[in-house]
Amino acid sequence: MEKYENPMCSQVESLPELIEQQYEDLEPKTRKVLSFQEIFNIQKIVLTGCGDSYAAAMATKHAFEMLTSIPTEVVTAIELSRFYCEKHMGVDCRNPLVITVSNSGTGARVSEAVQRARQHGCYVLGVTGNPESPLGKYADKILKLDIPSFPSAPGTRSYMVSVMALLLLAVRFGEVRGKYTMDQACSYRQDIKDQGRRLKDILPEMKEQCERLAEEWKEFPCYDFVGAGFDYATAWFGQAKILEATGKFAMHINTEEWFHLNFFVRDAKHMGTILVANTENPAMSRNREFVKYANELHRPLAVITDGDESDFENLEAVYIKVPEAKYAISMPLTQFAPICLLAGYIAVMIGEKYGRGCEGDWSFCKGGYCVKNSEIIVK
Amino acid sequence: MSVLKNIKISTTYNEVHDITKEVKQVVEESGIKEGICIVHNMHSTAGLAVFSPWDPDGFKDLDEEIRRLVPTRIDFKHQHDTPQDAAGHIKCALLGVTETFIVHDGKLLLGGSQGIYFLEFDGPRNREFYVKVIEDK
Repeated sequence: MEKYENPMCSQVESLPELIEQQYEDLEPKTRKVLSFQEIFNIQKIVLTGCGDSYAAAMATKHAFEMLTSIPTEVVTAIELSRFYCEKHMGVDCRNPLVITVSNSGTGARVSEAVQRARQHGCYVLGVTGNPESPLGKYADKILKLDIPSFPSAPGTRSYMVSVMALLLLAVRFGEVRGKYTMDQACSYRQDIKDQGRRLKDILPEMKEQCERLAEEWKEFPCYDFVGAGFDYATAWFGQAKILEATGKFAMHINTEEWFHLNFFVRDAKHMGTILVANTENPAMSRNREFVKYANELHRPLAVITDGDESDFENLEAVYIKVPEAKYAISMPLTQFAPICLLAGYIAVMIGEKYGRGCEGDWSFCKGGYCVKNSEIIVK
Repeated sequence: MSVLKNIKISTTYNEVHDITKEVKQVVEESGIKEGICIVHNMHSTAGLAVFSPWDPDGFKDLDEEIRRLVPTRIDFKHQHDTPQDAAGHIKCALLGVTETFIVHDGKLLLGGSQGIYFLEFDGPRNREFYVKVIEDK
């Protein structure tokens, strides 16, 4: 047994096998879930969900647009259920396609969002492991997830599966609409599948790095996650995992906005700062500048990248290597792994229970009570 | 005596790809003077045809007529791949995947207005076909 073994890190260790297994499950399902007619009918896509599912939507929004050329929005469940403009729903014969992600399918706001979307003429594709849930019940079609159970921890495996399901849908839509050849689609799919093997190869080193970093950073009061584009989704997911696993404050911001805001935070020397920076990211030049100025501020800095220090002018930082991808769209599948390792290690080092163990002041929220039990208003 | 040769080609989208030269070469290099030459395409979304090479616009006509006969529709029952793939399977079935020729005096017996064409119903793809030359007994 390892010194700092914990369920969150175990979930990360299980990812290589899970990627291969889920690919075999989801590849045929994503081919069949929508017909040619349904795919050709799509004029606009809205991706929605709560929490990790919302992060998965952000991680794949650019992939949908790059692969399909279909305008794609990421909208939180509450935005869709209470604020999204009615005039933009039910247009062009059941558009937009609302892809709603929730493994449990039981969140009240998700239920509300899909009910409203249906009521106003959208076409709803539910991505869920629970067809009997409100999401399963109100969606027009369901992409059924089957994630093997595992010791509980802040969503790690389920996040990867959500990202994979959305990526495979994007690949499928582009393929059917003739945006690229079937061979090219297969190449995208193979790259998605290969992320498991690539992660397996570098996982031992990644674990050692993250354990060392957790030792150095475990007492910090706050963590700052930075990234741009689909790397921002991983940064967003990172702050969520730190908060869930350790209960500490964590922020997320895009690389440009960081210079306008988080840049000014006090006590920068005790703020664990994590930049997520895929070398193919169009904002890479700004990422390099970020590393330079974070160093000027003496921020403890880690860079999660498929490259190395030479991609950042050899500036000082802990560079955590994540799997390279043939296509940038595949990066979000494994890019989050070191963040979950870091969060898991810090939690166990400081003796913190995930989600505060739903004990004490948090005892009322057992079993997701607060997200499942909420007044539903559909207008 | 017989000779079997595998030939690989790269096609473009809905291309009418001329393979006459490759087939003739296999026949001539086989050393067989009298016999049969079979050209066989290994795919289910590509066909083989004999067509006149003289007017390049003729290839466009061929492509357009095949598409007119079997349009790429989105209501095919076969939805595993793409609409183009579904149409390609039908075009392939209609046109066939094999052509047979006579070998005479060590050469392929083709008319002056006959070329052999690999018809790509998808593409771009990496494709292959076989040429078998069988000597008369």
